[in-house]
Amino acid sequence: MDTLIAIPVLFLTLLIQVTAVSRLPLLHGTADLVLLTLIAWGICTKTNNAWIWALIGGLMTSFVSAVPGLAVIIPYIVVALLAQLLHGQLWQSPILAMFLITILGSFMVQLTTMVFLNSNDIPFNFALALEAIIIPSLILNLFLSLPIYLLIKDISQWVYPIIEYE
Amino acid sequence: MKSIPTRTLQIIAGVVVVVGILLLALGGILRPVIGVVMDPFIAAQRWLSDRVISVVDFFTLPRDVTNLLQRNVTLENEISSLQSQVIQLEGQLNEAKVLYALLDFARARPQNQYLASAVIGRDPSPFLHYIIIDHGSDDGIRYGMPVVTQQGLVGRVDAVTASASRVQLIADPGSVINVRMQSLKREGQLTGSITGDISLINIPQDVVVNPGEILLTSGLGGNYPPDVLIGQVTSVIKKENELFQIASVQPIVNFSTLRAVLIITNFKSIDISPLIPSPAP
Repeated sequence: MDTLIAIPVLFLTLLIQVTAVSRLPLLHGTADLVLLTLIAWGICTKTNNAWIWALIGGLMTSFVSAVPGLAVIIPYIVVALLAQLLHGQLWQSPILAMFLITILGSFMVQLTTMVFLNSNDIPFNFALALEAIIIPSLILNLFLSLPIYLLIKDISQWVYPIIEYE
Repeated sequence: MKSIPTRTLQIIAGVVVVVGILLLALGGILRPVIGVVMDPFIAAQRWLSDRVISVVDFFTLPRDVTNLLQRNVTLENEISSLQSQVIQLEGQLNEAKVLYALLDFARARPQNQYLASAVIGRDPSPFLHYIIIDHGSDDGIRYGMPVVTQQGLVGRVDAVTASASRVQLIADPGSVINVRMQSLKREGQLTGSITGDISLINIPQDVVVNPGEILLTSGLGGNYPPDVLIGQVTSVIKKENELFQIASVQPIVNFSTLRAVLIITNFKSIDISPLIPSPAP
């Protein structure tokens, strides 16, 4: 039941991503709200369902995006598991963990997309991609990571009020 | 002779004095005297009046301020409501302008059947350049249909659901379009990039391409109808050791501000991929 909350939360996140965030680029990079939500959920909760959230988020995103499903789902699951792992290691400084995984996750998602482009013989300049897309996207993700973390923390405390304080 | 009573004489004398004083006062003769007598009273009255008004204000003004504040809040709410209405109406006006422009474009090309659709989203990946429109297979949209605006070519339908479709923009890195240079009558290929910049590739070295050259779809390949405006050449990169030249292209359509598009519904794209020989292993 508590996993089902992922569907409305991620649906709303993806809706905002597609309609608003993707229209607000920094150079050519855009923030990834779904990724940030998955990271925040992995950090904020003590449950082991972060990978299910990542799977749902990846399926939803791949339905909307032209990027193939696996190129979205795999990095999302890896990042969510990483967030869950670091939740236990850096539990005293979750915000630091949020920033750290945001950096790693952003690179991972972007690199996976580039692998997809490369495998489809779509030419691109890596230096240009780094300068115009990857770094600006990372900056936007870092900028939005704190508010997303606070929002997801509230949601997680609403979903798991007893577990959090036990 | 009966003598007049003293009391009556006093009354008559008093009346005469009063009438006399009144006449003198009305005549203005007593003005200095009246001034001397009345000025202290007027000053005292003014002082008292000021104090009374101050006291009355002290008790009544807070109520008036409260009333004014309530009124102010009411008026501010009305202003906010009117401002939101103005913004909403401006949005509708802009939308109507876009739709009118699209309608004019559609009327000018009666050979094509168009379906107007609103842009409702963009691809979440910053590497790809796709838009999402609010019409799908229920409205007759099929894979491969060209998408245009009143200005020029936008792209083609890449994926379709019942009520929405995804359109690959010509700026997408995976997009390749056969184009024709209007004045040179030569052909080339247009390709996008991850940053959304568009380039004209495969231009033979012997062709002299000048900035400003207009590019139209050639119709080759069967993916797009011919003679749809795309943009113009802004600069040319010509290297002696390369087989072909490359030119940067400024698209006629501003993809970042796309709000509505037209889908050409009576155009059927042709899949020629089975006819293209695959390279030998």
